[in-house]
Amino acid sequence: MHEMSLMHEIIQLVSEDAKSRGFYKVKQIQVIVGDLSNVLPDALELAFFYFSKKKMGLLDEESQLKIIHEKAIAQCQTCLHKFEPDFRLALCPKCGLLNGFLISGETFQVESYEGSDEIEN
Amino acid sequence: MKLKIELREDVLKDLNTAASFNRDLFKENQTLVINLMSSPGAGKTTLLEETVKRLADEFKIAVIEGDLATDRDAERLRTLGIKTVQINTVGGCHLDARMVAKVIPEFDFESIDILFIENIGNLVCPSGYDLGQDYKVVVLSVPEGNDKIPKYPVMFKRTDITIINKIDLLPYVSFNLEEADRDLKQINPKAQLKTLSAKTGEGMNEWINWIKDVYRTCIKP
Repeated sequence: MHEMSLMHEIIQLVSEDAKSRGFYKVKQIQVIVGDLSNVLPDALELAFFYFSKKKMGLLDEESQLKIIHEKAIAQCQTCLHKFEPDFRLALCPKCGLLNGFLISGETFQVESYEGSDEIEN
Repeated sequence: MKLKIELREDVLKDLNTAASFNRDLFKENQTLVINLMSSPGAGKTTLLEETVKRLADEFKIAVIEGDLATDRDAERLRTLGIKTVQINTVGGCHLDARMVAKVIPEFDFESIDILFIENIGNLVCPSGYDLGQDYKVVVLSVPEGNDKIPKYPVMFKRTDITIINKIDLLPYVSFNLEEADRDLKQINPKAQLKTLSAKTGEGMNEWINWIKDVYRTCIKP
């Protein structure tokens, strides 16, 4: 429900970094969204569409958002088995112990962006 | 010329910095901070009222109330003589560390022993935001059903304590405590489960003693 403000945060973060490197435009932003990050990719895309239309930061209508999906994976701290958990995040399906530890799926980060130093009209 | 920049930056970086700032300030002033979360209507405010009544003789308490609109909850706490600041998020679905930082100047933290932050009623979004608290506590009330634990695993994974509230209603609704306990352990084996009724007072002692113990062992030994 808060993807607008999250996208706002992303565009500010990227635009500030891009300005400091002398770019005039941001052509593409790549974001990693984990299964368990409580972030809806569709809502992020909608927010990006809205902000790029408004040319927020260094974006324009041509700018693109690429979302990289990160699966939830846990590893049992006892038998070291790696598994994709259902809601029972700590339950190891192999040894049955409650010793699963999430090793991915909670990420929500800006992976990279593509900056351009060409001045366009 | 186009160039790809590998930024690898957490989207919540700035908010996490704000949370660290809050945490340092709370620590410096030896204030225990509890972030209270739940869906709307689980009884956070009633639990808070009953909690501060039992702690006010020994501790100086303050409250931050989060709601979309009105300062009704803040008024309830002020009636008990508790310094309370209301944050209205209008449309916002959670409190974040910046909102908390903004109201910090309204308190005299040097004299505050315990700060309760009552988050927005929502079982999803508040779990993702660090406010700088010492403990995250989620309240689940019996009429909501024990299936909320597996249905909202991220909230229960990220909280230190789960309080099952309104246990006086257990005879009237189908809430299975054993299943709740099992599901919670499978999601978060370290979570502590407490059952109580803020209304009748049943189970309140254990919760109050936990707060006192934590304060005396971790905050001001």
